[in-house]
Amino acid sequence: MSAGAKRETYIIGAPASVWLIVLLVIPCLYLLFQSLTPLSGSGLSLENYANLIESSTFQKALRRSVIVSIWVTILTVLAGYPIALVASRASSRTRTIVMVIVIFPFLLSAVVRAYGWTVILGENGVVNDFLVGIGLIDEPLKLIQNTFAIVVGETHVLLPYMVLSLLTVIQRIDRNLEAAAMSLGASPPVIFFKVVVPLTLPGLLTGMLLVFSLSMTAFATPFLLGGPRSPILTVLMYQYAYTLFDWSKATAVAGVLLILGLGFVILHRFVSRRLMRDAEAKS
Amino acid sequence: MTGQITERVWERPLIAAGRIFLWGSVCFWLIFVLAPVLVTVVSSFTAAEFLTFPPKGFSLRWYFRVMELDWFLTSMQTSLIVAAVSTLIATIFAVLAARVLTRHRFRAKGAFEILMLSPLIIPGVVFGFAFFNVVLQFRMEGWNLLNLFVAHSVVTIPLMLRPIWSSMAGTDLSLEEAAQCLGATPWVTFWKITFPMILPGIVAGAIIAFTFSFNDITIAIFLVGPGTQTLPVQLMSQIEYTPDASPAAITSIIIFFTLILFFIIDRTVGMDVFAQK
Repeated sequence: MSAGAKRETYIIGAPASVWLIVLLVIPCLYLLFQSLTPLSGSGLSLENYANLIESSTFQKALRRSVIVSIWVTILTVLAGYPIALVASRASSRTRTIVMVIVIFPFLLSAVVRAYGWTVILGENGVVNDFLVGIGLIDEPLKLIQNTFAIVVGETHVLLPYMVLSLLTVIQRIDRNLEAAAMSLGASPPVIFFKVVVPLTLPGLLTGMLLVFSLSMTAFATPFLLGGPRSPILTVLMYQYAYTLFDWSKATAVAGVLLILGLGFVILHRFVSRRLMRDAEAKS
Repeated sequence: MTGQITERVWERPLIAAGRIFLWGSVCFWLIFVLAPVLVTVVSSFTAAEFLTFPPKGFSLRWYFRVMELDWFLTSMQTSLIVAAVSTLIATIFAVLAARVLTRHRFRAKGAFEILMLSPLIIPGVVFGFAFFNVVLQFRMEGWNLLNLFVAHSVVTIPLMLRPIWSSMAGTDLSLEEAAQCLGATPWVTFWKITFPMILPGIVAGAIIAFTFSFNDITIAIFLVGPGTQTLPVQLMSQIEYTPDASPAAITSIIIFFTLILFFIIDRTVGMDVFAQK
């Protein structure tokens, strides 16, 4: 490579690199550094993290984050398989309709979705009006500003990710395998669990990892639908910074979230590479 | 042999049941996806004083009402400015980065790629807080608009990079070489040859980046000031105190414009751009 070409690479590559290093990488490192410097003493220590882990607020928020993410992962899998199956097998017209409906919410603002769910799940919302109307319940149920609402809202946000991960692997399945299983007398449920599920395992695992990690680090929807009394980790970080004015705890939660986010990305890369290699080795 | 045939006969209702179950669950989940959107849009046309579903009567009164709301108009304006400026900044960086990734070979390419995609790796709320933390250190918290421009341009770079990258990778390098052989300067070559070829990628990327910035709460919540509330942040605080249908009208307006942008993407580069994450 000539010196001129090399210089051109630097000149073209520099602006975006400098922009992201100065404005994203350094602020995040600085935040990590702050989380490691306690107010009381000097030097680096894990004191902020120790205080954080002891506090019951943090433990509750962590537990809530994990529970919400597990539920969201389960629900998106339950929804993702039928949708991806139908989208890959139906006529191109049905497929387009299904995909438009599934993907369109990608561009939808969290506040728009949250408002929609408030109209549906609120105290005078559609669901409560209906249930009270048919006499099933006397008092409106509390369906909003709690963990349930976060699960509903996050499932709505993350469903397209699961559908797209499953769709890419389902499309790759050789239809002859199913025909073979059918001719040997296997019923559709048996074919689904014995043929389709094992073959889509890579997409399922990477999709589950993606959904779980995005759910663990999501802020807007849990903030809007969960309310101040049921914070997950991200909301707790915001509360520490803005309503409780506990900056050192806020930076420690941010550190935990940063490590979680990076950990999931590394795990995701590792798992998808491993599965990719296995799939290639088999075929 | 006979055993198998009777088995098949027995299975027929089972197969039908399975098919009904499959389509039933697909319908259920599609309704689940559409429900918050449909309910909001339908109830925005209510004629009543308070928001109800199903709406009582039909009127456009809430749409006329929100057009007179000061907070709606000013925050809408702020959001449009922030989204436009940050998309423009991100476009420049993303085009340059895509060029480096498709046309150049160097040792740190892997690291460069990870750096360009790092805004997707770092949780948005952590970036918002980290950025705000630095803004405070420099006592820049009063410069709300500037902070929003910069922060949104950072997170939208990878969103724009993906479609621009793939459209640039698909272009024919020999066309650029031919132009240069015929005496065109690199600048002219870019504008006359490369730019038209990657335009669909830029349009798709710009739409995704613009909508991201326009919709964002996670980062904006740290950076807005009293005079520079963006629409989603302002809407969020107004919803609590507004039992009438004006938020429904505003969200319906946003949904309408989102739909238009969605169909532009579908027509230019296709929905596949969303598949890459």
